[in-house]
Amino acid sequence: MTGLHAPAFPEDAVRERARLGAAAAFPPAADYGHTLFGASTGGASPAGSADLIDAARLVPPVFMPQRLEKLIDLGREPVYSDVDLHTAIGGFRSPLPVFLCAFGSTQVASGDLGVAVSRTAGRAGIPMVIGENVVPMNGYGRAGGRDSGGDGRGADGVLLDRLRAYAEHAPDGLGGVVVQQSTEDADAEVWNLAYSDPAATTLLDSGRLAFELKVGQGAKPGLGGMTVVSGATAAAVAEQYTVDGSVGCGSGRVLRCSSPGTFTDEILRQQIRLMRNNFPRARIWVKLAPARDIGGGAAVAWAAGADAVTVDGAEGGTGWAPTGFLDHVGLPLAECLRRIGPAAGCLLASGQMWAGPRAVKALAMGATAIGLGRAALIAADEDAEHGLYRLLECLALELQLLISALGKYSPAALNGEDIWSPGHAEPAAEPKGAQTHEHHR
Amino acid sequence: MTQMHTPDATLALPPAPRAHLTSPVTRAVLRIQNQITVAAREFLGAAGFVELFPPIIGPVTDPGARGAKQVDVDYYGHKYKLMTSAILYKQASLLAFDKIFYIAPNVRLEPLETSSTSRHLAEFHQIDVEMAGASRAQITHIAEGLVTHAVRRVVATMSDELATLGRSPRAFAAVLDEQPFGRMTHYDAVLDLHELGHPQSPDAEIDWAGERLLSAQHTRPFFITDYPKGSRGFYDRESRRHPGCLRNFDLIAPEGYGELCSGSEREYDYARIVTRIRETGENPAKYRWYLELAREGIPASAGFGLGVERFTRYVAGLHSAWQASAYPKLPGVVSP
Repeated sequence: MTGLHAPAFPEDAVRERARLGAAAAFPPAADYGHTLFGASTGGASPAGSADLIDAARLVPPVFMPQRLEKLIDLGREPVYSDVDLHTAIGGFRSPLPVFLCAFGSTQVASGDLGVAVSRTAGRAGIPMVIGENVVPMNGYGRAGGRDSGGDGRGADGVLLDRLRAYAEHAPDGLGGVVVQQSTEDADAEVWNLAYSDPAATTLLDSGRLAFELKVGQGAKPGLGGMTVVSGATAAAVAEQYTVDGSVGCGSGRVLRCSSPGTFTDEILRQQIRLMRNNFPRARIWVKLAPARDIGGGAAVAWAAGADAVTVDGAEGGTGWAPTGFLDHVGLPLAECLRRIGPAAGCLLASGQMWAGPRAVKALAMGATAIGLGRAALIAADEDAEHGLYRLLECLALELQLLISALGKYSPAALNGEDIWSPGHAEPAAEPKGAQTHEHHR
Repeated sequence: MTQMHTPDATLALPPAPRAHLTSPVTRAVLRIQNQITVAAREFLGAAGFVELFPPIIGPVTDPGARGAKQVDVDYYGHKYKLMTSAILYKQASLLAFDKIFYIAPNVRLEPLETSSTSRHLAEFHQIDVEMAGASRAQITHIAEGLVTHAVRRVVATMSDELATLGRSPRAFAAVLDEQPFGRMTHYDAVLDLHELGHPQSPDAEIDWAGERLLSAQHTRPFFITDYPKGSRGFYDRESRRHPGCLRNFDLIAPEGYGELCSGSEREYDYARIVTRIRETGENPAKYRWYLELAREGIPASAGFGLGVERFTRYVAGLHSAWQASAYPKLPGVVSP
């Protein structure tokens, strides 16, 4: 462990999953037969949650036509393990409706932890996003990585090491790596580097390389990436970034800011088209902040040919952000999904994701897959080699349990009927067969 | 129509420098190339163009190359770039003269997949032309005249070399018949490709395979015009009458040889340039010297870059563009 903490996150529960794997989906087996179990409250779950997704409940029906379809298909009663979690995510194939979010250049994600996470994501075959600013901040393997050594800036954390770690462990035909580029990264031509480097050939040849245009992020919508760096590092990157020594970070350290970049609908449309033009063999992803016009942003991105649109709810983020932003700026994920409405393409959702219930609710609200951010870092911090894998095992089991309980057998089958939100009760619908002309008079 | 030489496995990679430089084929090709540059200087000089030496490095270079990586140079602690093309300097140079040209070396670390296109080199040269106040019609007329003049000179002076290469001068009958080169819009080119069964994106550059297909349908060079915004660099001017459509062109060689030259009317209005830079995902801050000039005013212009090795390949009837380089560098191949 590295001393990593995530106080605004159910850290202990994630660490438990990183240790126990699927067993953590249930109470301790030793308690079985001795303890009475049940919901902690009679109402919303969890009690009093202000988060609209957490406050909602998944609501299985009595009548399950899709279970009947599965029964006919299988020739026996279906069980939870019959849920097929394989999902097409932004042009990739994943064994779970789950991908790994970008961690950015934030200190906790650099170095060994970033590489360990990459290795595990590869082994699991889930898509992985490599964050912005990795190259200008941490160097690029070909130019300043492990071969050159001695630059003192964590050469193990560089883009190529992460790409390589992933590609070496990924099963054939599954997963993919998504390389993010911000405005500052454009100076370092991250995409051009990745597209022309032999290390990416395996992924490119198998259609498993994507580039993500970062339009915004959850933790600080409207602002660019921020990290705290040493004075020496600040001097080295001052030509590319805004460096602010006035914010009193202490210890001679200073704030390094990326610009958020300027977008209009035409700028977004043309940037996506240019990406498709310049990198015809790569998939194109777009990441949006939880902005008030997120519905329009997603629509423009899909229409311009984006293979996936990622929505990072205001509750998301792994890195440094002004405290005023964390609780007061940006739409919560639930409202983002509501404003987007029926997705015209692959919609990916992130923000406080770590366990099955929240994931299934997000899928029911329109997401194609969910992204793990902090949870993945904490799990890898708990156990670098196995933590993330165990977290994924537990998540997979929960997804199967929950989706099957809803009488469905794939993540894509989930929709709004599977979820109930307090205060938004739908009028009770009659079973279709029970409706009569008289009933409507 | 003279057929392009059959692909030959032995031509996949350049030989060692001694074998390459002493080969009768290489010598014939380089003599032909020499006549092309002599002809270019002759033609452009007569038309009033001033030849300038091109810059080699700069704080910024042309970002418009499809997926190609730029080469960084440490310039006294500042990150400079080797020129992928001198487009920004071409526009700036019009502050000195109304008509300029370079014969400019360019370096682009092209994606590895381009090593098999027969026409991509990591290091190559362009005859780079820019003309103040010119329209697309005027600049394509210059490109047409330049190509015709060079072909005429090669045919007149290089018959032995063409014979050595097995290239019949009859291949150029349609080029030299005084008829204007054909023109088609990008929209029509996409339709033609769809009719040929090729899945060309209407929003993107004509892909390499598509370009070869179209090229093989023609016996004389032809222009493709009006590429969609999003397929080219920010400096190609967007049509005011048809937003989303660029006032640009490619010149495509016949017989399957593909693109020889790209050009356009240029954006020159400061605010439009900044907006277009953003539309290509670039950070305007790094273009500071260029934007400062643009804010103070640069001339409206049009221009083009004609690939010397590609043009030589077409004229000499070569399998690969690398055969037209004394020291060929194929993408991803470590070579002298």
